[in-house]
Amino acid sequence: MSHASSYPTASSATDGTQVPILQLEHVTKRFGGLPAVEDLTFSLRRGEVLGMIGPNGAGKSTAISLIGGALAPTEGIVRFQGQDITRFAPHQRAHLGIARTFQITQPFAQLDIRDNVIVGALFGGRIRTRKEAAQRADAILERVRLVDKAHLKGDELTVADRKRLEMARALALQPELLLLDEVMAGLTPREVGEAVELIREINQSGVTVLVVEHVMQAITGVSDRILVLHHGRKIAEDKPDAVLSDPQVIEAYLGERYARQRAGEQSRRLAQQVGGEVPPATPGGAEKENAE
Amino acid sequence: MENLPQFVVNWILLGCFYAAIGLGFSLIWGIMNIVNLAQGSLIIIGAYVTYWSYTVLHINPFLGMLVAMVVGFCVGFVLQYVLINRVIRAPFLVTFMLTFGLDLFISNVLQAVFTGGYRAINTSYSSAAINLFGAHIPLLNVAVAILALVLTALLGLFLSRTRLGNAILAIGMDRDAAQLMGIGVAAIYAVTFGIGSALAGAAGGMLAMTLQFSPIFTGQYTLFAFVIVALGGLGTPWAALAGGMLFAFAEVFGPLLPGVGFGLDIAIAFAVLVLVLILRPNGLLGRPFYS
Amino acid sequence: MARETSSDRGLATESARASEPRESRSWLWSLGIGVAILGLIATVPLLGDQSVLSLWTFILMYCVLAQSWNFIGGYAGRPAFGNVAFFGIGAYTVSLLLLAHQSYWLGLALAPIIAGLFAFLLGLPVLRLRGHYFAIATLGVAEALGEIVQSKNIGAPAGEISLTPPDMNFELSNALFFYGFLVLSLLLLLGTVWLTRTRFGYALVAIRENEEAAEALGISTYWYKVGAFVLSAVPTAIAGGLFAYWQLSFDPVGEGGAFDVTISVAMILMTFLGGAGTILGPILGAIIIEYLDQYTSVAFTTIHGPLLGLLIIVVTIFLPQGLIRLVQELVRSPAGVKQSYPVRFKQGVRRVTRFILSNGI
Repeated sequence: MSHASSYPTASSATDGTQVPILQLEHVTKRFGGLPAVEDLTFSLRRGEVLGMIGPNGAGKSTAISLIGGALAPTEGIVRFQGQDITRFAPHQRAHLGIARTFQITQPFAQLDIRDNVIVGALFGGRIRTRKEAAQRADAILERVRLVDKAHLKGDELTVADRKRLEMARALALQPELLLLDEVMAGLTPREVGEAVELIREINQSGVTVLVVEHVMQAITGVSDRILVLHHGRKIAEDKPDAVLSDPQVIEAYLGERYARQRAGEQSRRLAQQVGGEVPPATPGGAEKENAE
Repeated sequence: MENLPQFVVNWILLGCFYAAIGLGFSLIWGIMNIVNLAQGSLIIIGAYVTYWSYTVLHINPFLGMLVAMVVGFCVGFVLQYVLINRVIRAPFLVTFMLTFGLDLFISNVLQAVFTGGYRAINTSYSSAAINLFGAHIPLLNVAVAILALVLTALLGLFLSRTRLGNAILAIGMDRDAAQLMGIGVAAIYAVTFGIGSALAGAAGGMLAMTLQFSPIFTGQYTLFAFVIVALGGLGTPWAALAGGMLFAFAEVFGPLLPGVGFGLDIAIAFAVLVLVLILRPNGLLGRPFYS
Repeated sequence: MARETSSDRGLATESARASEPRESRSWLWSLGIGVAILGLIATVPLLGDQSVLSLWTFILMYCVLAQSWNFIGGYAGRPAFGNVAFFGIGAYTVSLLLLAHQSYWLGLALAPIIAGLFAFLLGLPVLRLRGHYFAIATLGVAEALGEIVQSKNIGAPAGEISLTPPDMNFELSNALFFYGFLVLSLLLLLGTVWLTRTRFGYALVAIRENEEAAEALGISTYWYKVGAFVLSAVPTAIAGGLFAYWQLSFDPVGEGGAFDVTISVAMILMTFLGGAGTILGPILGAIIIEYLDQYTSVAFTTIHGPLLGLLIIVVTIFLPQGLIRLVQELVRSPAGVKQSYPVRFKQGVRRVTRFILSNGI
C-alpha cells in the first residue's frame, strides 16, 4: 500500500507532469457479497509496461474486465487519459484505444484467423473499408507469426496459437493501451520467450501494456513495474527487483510457490491450491483455464 | 367483484396445477439448458396413459398418474439417451428445433391414432365440491393442487438429499468438471430428462382428471410451461410454483381489467412475461443455476 | 507503425494473394448459383399449370421469409422465434388499407415501414434478453398479436380477412404475385451478398460467434443486433403484403393464418437445413422443405405431420450446420495449401463425418 502514493493521481497530474494513461481510484468489485477486487488504486504512465501478478483468484482477470469494461465496478473510478470511463461500454473503450485479450481465449470459431483479425481492424475506429482492414490484418498476422495459419478456423488452433490470435486481434485495434490477460499461460518456455519478445516489440512501437500473469518469471524481464494482487487487494507495487524481495509478497505468494516448486510439484496443482478463493462465475467461468 | 373469493380459489388451484406443468420443464432447462418444446407432448402422453389406465384397466386415476410417471420416465430417458445427447453441445437453437420436431411427431401421431377429439376422466367423485365463503371448491382440484405441491417438495428433497440428485446438480453447474470427477454425463442427462418427463406425465394425469385434453393442446402446454418457468426463474423447483402462481394470477384476474376482456390469455401471459423479464431477467426466484 | 507496415508489405501482399482468390470465388459462386436457381424458377409460369405455379409461389415466399430470417437468426445468430409477427403486420396493413378502399401500393409501401418501426421498438427491450428468453419473448409477441387481431375483430369479425380480387385476369395476377416474390428473393440474394462484404456483415457474424469478444473489439453489439432485427422485419412485411392480396382470404391464427407460428418455425427450419448464415442456405432449405411439405401433404395426408416432425429430427441431428456448410467442408483445403481434388475430397469426407458426429457427449 505504501507504494501507491508515489505515483501520480488525478489531482496531482496537473502540476506539469503528463496525465497517466490509466488510473484506477479505489476500485472495488463484489460478486454477491464476495469482493473479487477491493479498493484497488494504481495508475499507468504512457509507454510503460506494468506487470500484474497474483495467485489464482487474486482478482487479476476481474481487474482486466473492470478496465476493459466487461464489468462495472461496485465502487471507484476508472480513468483513461484523465477521462472518467467508469460507465463506458466495452466497445466505447475500444474506440478510445483500450484493447484486451481474454484469458479464456474467445476466437470467432467459424471465421478463419485472417477474418478474426479483420474484425478487430474494422471496428477499432480508424479503418473503415474491408480492403484496408485486410492489409492491416495481414501485417499483424506476420508480426505475431500466424501468417501460415491464416486460413485455419478459430477453433482449429493450438493453445499457443489461440493466445497469439488474441493478441493479433487486440493489436488490430491499434490500441494505445493493451491489456494482456495471461497470454503466456499454458505455453512452452520457448513460446513464452517469443511472447515476451513480442510484448517488448509492441511496447517499443508506443503502446502502453498491462500484462497479467500468474507466472512471475515470465514478466519480470519485460515489466517496468510489477503490481501484486492477493485476495483482491494490492499488496505491493514497485520495480521488479523490489517486489521480488518484498517480504510481504514472498510470504503471501512467492514463498509458498517457490517452496512447493522446490518440492517438485506440478505447477498446475500449485495453482489450484494457492488460489484459495475463486470469485463466483463471471460470464464464461472466469478462471477455469488456469488449471491447464 | 362480488365473487372475489371464487376468483381467489380459482387462482390458487390453477396456480398449483401450473406449477406441476412447469416443474419438469424447469428441471430440464435448468440442468441441461434445453428448452424442451416436446414437454406439451409428454404431458398429453401422460394424460392418455392415465385416461386408458382408468377406462380400460379400471385403475384409479391417482394410481394411473403413477403409471403415467413411469411411462414418462422411460420415454424421456430413451429420447435423451438416443437423440438429444447427440446434439447437446450444439447451439441451443438446435435442441430447440429437435424438440420441436419431437413435439410435431408425437402430437401428430397421437392425433392420427386417437383423433383430435376431447377426452376427460369422469369418476363418481369428479364433481364433489364444497362451498366456502360463497366460493365453489371442487375437491378433485384441491387434491391435484396438493399433489403438485408434494411433487415440488419431493423434487427439491431429491436434488438436495440424494446422491443421484447431487450428481444432477453438479452436472448442471459445470458439466466438464463433473465429468472429470467421474460422473457419467450421458446417463445422468438421460435420467434428468426422464425425471422431467415423469413430472410431465404426472401433470398429464392431473390434466386428465380435472380438464379436457386433446393432442392439439401440446403446443399450448409447452408454451405455458415456458412462460411459467421463465416467470419463476430457473433456480429451484419452488420457482416453478412462483411462476405458476403469477401466471395463473394474470390469467384469472387479467381479463377483469378494463379494455382487456376475455380471449386474450396468451397476450396477457406474454405481457406479464415481458414485463417480468425486463424487470428481473432471471425470473422471480431465479438464480444462475439449479440448487 | 510505418516501419513495420513497409517492411511487411512483401509478405502481406503475398498472403493476400493466397487468400483473396478463395474468398472472391466463394461469394461469386454463391451469387452465381443463386441467380441461376432463381432464373430457373422464373420459367415456371411458362408451364401454364396453375397448381404448379401456386406451389412455386409458396416456395418463393418461403425463400423470402427464410432469407429475411437469415439476417437476425443466421448472421447475427439471435434465435428470433416470432418473425411471423412482421409477416402478419404486412398482411394486415395491406388488407386494412384495401378494405378502406386505399391503393394496394400504398399498403405495400407502408407495410415495411410499420413493421420496421415495430421491429425497432420491440428490439430495444427484447434484444437485451439472453438466449431462450429472447426466443420466447419474440414468439410471445407474435402469438399475442394474432390473438389481439382475432379477439378485437380487427379488419373483420375474428380478424378473418376477405378481400376483393385485383381487377385483372386471375392467371395474370397469379403470375404477377409469383414474380413479385421472385424479385424480392433476388433482391435479398444481392443484399445478402453485399452484406457479407461490409462492416455490418462482419459485425453481425462476430456477434454471433462471440458477443463478448465482439464488444471488446469495438463493436456496438446492441445496436447492430437492433439493426439486424429491423433488416429482417422489412422484407418479411413486404412478403406478408404480397401474401395478403395473393391469397385474398386468410385468418389471423391457426393453420395458414398470417400470424401462424408454424411460419416462424418454417423460416428457421429452412434456414437451418440449408445453412444458417450462408448466402444460399435459406433458398435451398426453402425449396427442399416447402416442396417436400406440399408433396407429402398431398400424397400422405394423414402421416404428413409425423413425416415433417421426423424430417426436423433428422435434419437437426445430422445436419445442425446445414447443407451448404457440408459442401464447403467437402471442398475446403485447410491452411491454403494447394491440393489435388481427390485428396481434398478424401480429407473433406473425413472432416464431414467428424462434423456430423461432433456435437454429442
